[in-house]
Amino acid sequence: MERINQLYDKFKGKFEGVNGECFRVAKSEEIGDLLINILGAKGSKTISLYESPISQSARLREKLTEAGFIVHTDDLFTNTCTDHVGITEVNWGIAELGTMVQIAPEVDKRLCSTLVPIHVALLKTDSILPEMDDVLEKLDSLPQIPGFVGFVTGPSRSSDIERILEIGVHGPEQVILIVTDQ
Amino acid sequence: MANSELKKEIAGALQNNVLRGALERFSHLYVIAREKAYQGYDFEALRNKVQEIKSYSASHIDEMIDLFEKNATARGAKVFRAANGKEANDYIKKLAQEKNVKKIVKSKSMASEEIHLNEALRADGVEVQETDLGEFIIAIEGKHPSHMVFPAIHLTKEQVADLFTSYTNKKNDPIISKLVKTARSVMRKKFIEADMGISGANIAVAETGTLFMFTNEGNADLTATIPKTHVYVVGIEKLIPKFKDASYILKTLPRNGTAQNITTYVSLYTGATEAYLENGMKGTKDFHIVILDNGRRNILKDEKFRQMFNCVRCGGCINVCPAFQLVGGHVYGGKAYTGGIGTLLTAFLDSEETAGKVQNLCLQCGKCTEVCVGKLQIPEMILELRNRHGQKTGLPFTQKFALDVVSNRRLFHTMLRVASVAQKPFTRGKQVIRHLPMFLSGLTEGRSLPAVAEKPFRDIFPTIEQDVKNPKGTVAIYAGCLLDFVYPRIGEGVVAALNEVGYKVVFPENQSCCGAPATYMGDRENAVKSAILNIQGLEAEKVDYVVSACPTCTHALKEYKELLHDNPEMLKRAEELANKLYDFSKLVTILGGLENKGDGIPLKVTYHDSCHLRRKMGVYQEQRDLLSNTSGIELIEMNESDRCCGFAGSYSIKFPEISVPILERKLRNIADTGAEVVAVDCPGCLMQISGGLDQKDSSKIKVKHTAELLLDKRKKK
Ligand code: SF4
Repeated sequence: MERINQLYDKFKGKFEGVNGECFRVAKSEEIGDLLINILGAKGSKTISLYESPISQSARLREKLTEAGFIVHTDDLFTNTCTDHVGITEVNWGIAELGTMVQIAPEVDKRLCSTLVPIHVALLKTDSILPEMDDVLEKLDSLPQIPGFVGFVTGPSRSSDIERILEIGVHGPEQVILIVTDQ
Repeated sequence: MANSELKKEIAGALQNNVLRGALERFSHLYVIAREKAYQGYDFEALRNKVQEIKSYSASHIDEMIDLFEKNATARGAKVFRAANGKEANDYIKKLAQEKNVKKIVKSKSMASEEIHLNEALRADGVEVQETDLGEFIIAIEGKHPSHMVFPAIHLTKEQVADLFTSYTNKKNDPIISKLVKTARSVMRKKFIEADMGISGANIAVAETGTLFMFTNEGNADLTATIPKTHVYVVGIEKLIPKFKDASYILKTLPRNGTAQNITTYVSLYTGATEAYLENGMKGTKDFHIVILDNGRRNILKDEKFRQMFNCVRCGGCINVCPAFQLVGGHVYGGKAYTGGIGTLLTAFLDSEETAGKVQNLCLQCGKCTEVCVGKLQIPEMILELRNRHGQKTGLPFTQKFALDVVSNRRLFHTMLRVASVAQKPFTRGKQVIRHLPMFLSGLTEGRSLPAVAEKPFRDIFPTIEQDVKNPKGTVAIYAGCLLDFVYPRIGEGVVAALNEVGYKVVFPENQSCCGAPATYMGDRENAVKSAILNIQGLEAEKVDYVVSACPTCTHALKEYKELLHDNPEMLKRAEELANKLYDFSKLVTILGGLENKGDGIPLKVTYHDSCHLRRKMGVYQEQRDLLSNTSGIELIEMNESDRCCGFAGSYSIKFPEISVPILERKLRNIADTGAEVVAVDCPGCLMQISGGLDQKDSSKIKVKHTAELLLDKRKKK
């Protein structure tokens, strides 16, 4: 546990350093309430949800719908074009960089992570690994490299005008990661 | 590009204050940020790995391509090998026709830029949209990128706002965050409507068929996710053997390019994945990879340039290039590639003629080699390019004449002696003149040039008393033109210091110009002539060591081996010379160094590193120790002490407009230290810096060669 805490703290520091928002909960049941608060405060109303083990055990669809959000789980191309938020699960975190790694050959999963203004990512705490090489190692040991793997480090950015850093270009403008211990 | 056009481009770029300001600010920030990004990482070890992996691919290129094709195909990709740009463009055009493509979105791909793919597609009436913010901006402007990583660095937010206003027909305010939002909303529509995506890749893994993309804005993933047809254009130099090898490039490319630990997105695509097809149905994407040669195999075939394959296109070399920092990318004339590496790439992949002109912009300072991920020797390759260009086209008459004179000892020395008399009216009693005679004339803007000394060192030498009891050995002094005819006092300092460590010094009369001017101007014939003259003249066989107080000469003399590789007898002598030859500070240190003494009178000294001495010879501590060990001297380090002073041999003659601003930055760094004396180890730097200081009449700072300063502070009174 000690080690997991250390890795989490390191990850969080790096992730926030690149303008990400990072939260940790003990049980996945807590994710729903946390999200209702965060998204409520941001004034977001519509959500594209790509169901995953964490989102299901957290009963996100039910909870968010009950709280008044409009939650889409299908026809995601149309919906991600207009929804405020996309929710997907990611596979790993990299502590040394504050990077999330997602395996996503499925087009809907990618759309929920990239086309929306706010991306909410879900991750298991013990999936935070120390270094990038740990992730490359894991990918390399799979029977084959998945069709798409994305390393994402914070919201999209550009310094193309006058070398001034701007957050939120074509990809998400905000990235929120919720890490769950269980 | 004609020379006059190049000059015009340079003038335009220098007048663009936005560009200059942005590039200069970035050049300061970059160095610090890059260093921070590498904290905890062993850059040398990482780049050794990159070099190893990339050169392995280079020497197994056919195997790499076959493997990649096999593995990507097994995963549903359609791989096409294009020998040249036309084949690549035709393939993509045909595909677009078959698929009835109307709208294409693109994310940054230098390879497609290189083959003018956009133009080819547009000629067919297809709409092609660059989606990268900077590329989008310059596409509206109708210009080429001014920087490999920041293509629109030459524009202000006001200019971007105007461009966006005309593009969207809606008023855009010059507020960067709002401009970015405009781009976002324009582009979302384009992404959603596009029926084809085109991208480039940073890495292609042979063993798995995987493509890596490094991006920040998120446009690359949208380009690769939304359209139902996708085409990658990938140069064969992007191939690496193993998946895990990508690690080394992942750790270096972003740190070097933008000083980021990692780019916001690193995306791995392996084969065809799922996409939305017609009517909201999901299915398999039509996924194509065009593997592009287009001149790259010629690079591989050319032994001198092969190492270019190790380039990962990070842009690090450009970020530290003093010339690039002043003029930006447009001046380089290439469509896609800029800076030193860009010049080389342009030569092979685009236009030899353009490259032949812009290679002149290289100062040969070697700063890029310190940061290069692929360990490329860019300056040496540029020199080779210069040589080949010189051989093919010949040099302009005045240059050729000058070099012919320099490599003819008698004639040259006579002319210098004549000059020392003829220049009198110009020197105004000072040791500087504003017009040098002969071939050096016409280069004095922002800088005064030194007068030719009344008595050359060769005439002074016999009068020097060498008081060495039981000499430990003999050292031959190689003076070089500047020391011999302009700064003879440096020679006196060299002799005094070597005497102090117990060696006698001889002056071989038949020495001549080292040949560096010819080498740097691409005149190999005259360089070889100088080499032979000096090997015969110096007779290294007869002494224990040879000393030179000019690092450019030292380097040139050491390189005689290269020039004479096909002349076995001379080669042997060249090797003997190279083995015995050292630069002043290095030799004095090897021979035991100087004991602590000096006049004790306080003197604040700062030190400027010569590019050749520091980077070619790795000598930077020795001279600092010699100076610090002289009582009275307080050594104060300046900022950017190893940044080029802008002299660079003939450079200041050909491009005073670039050389002078580079010098000005050096002068600012010097003034900031509050030093009274700048010590240097190179007469060329001495000439450049003192010329600059002389123009600022208010400046009381003196420039001295280490040998001369040691002589001043240590001589017995
Ligand atoms: S030459 Fe070296 S520093 Fe320049 S872009 Fe290539 S790898 Fe980077």
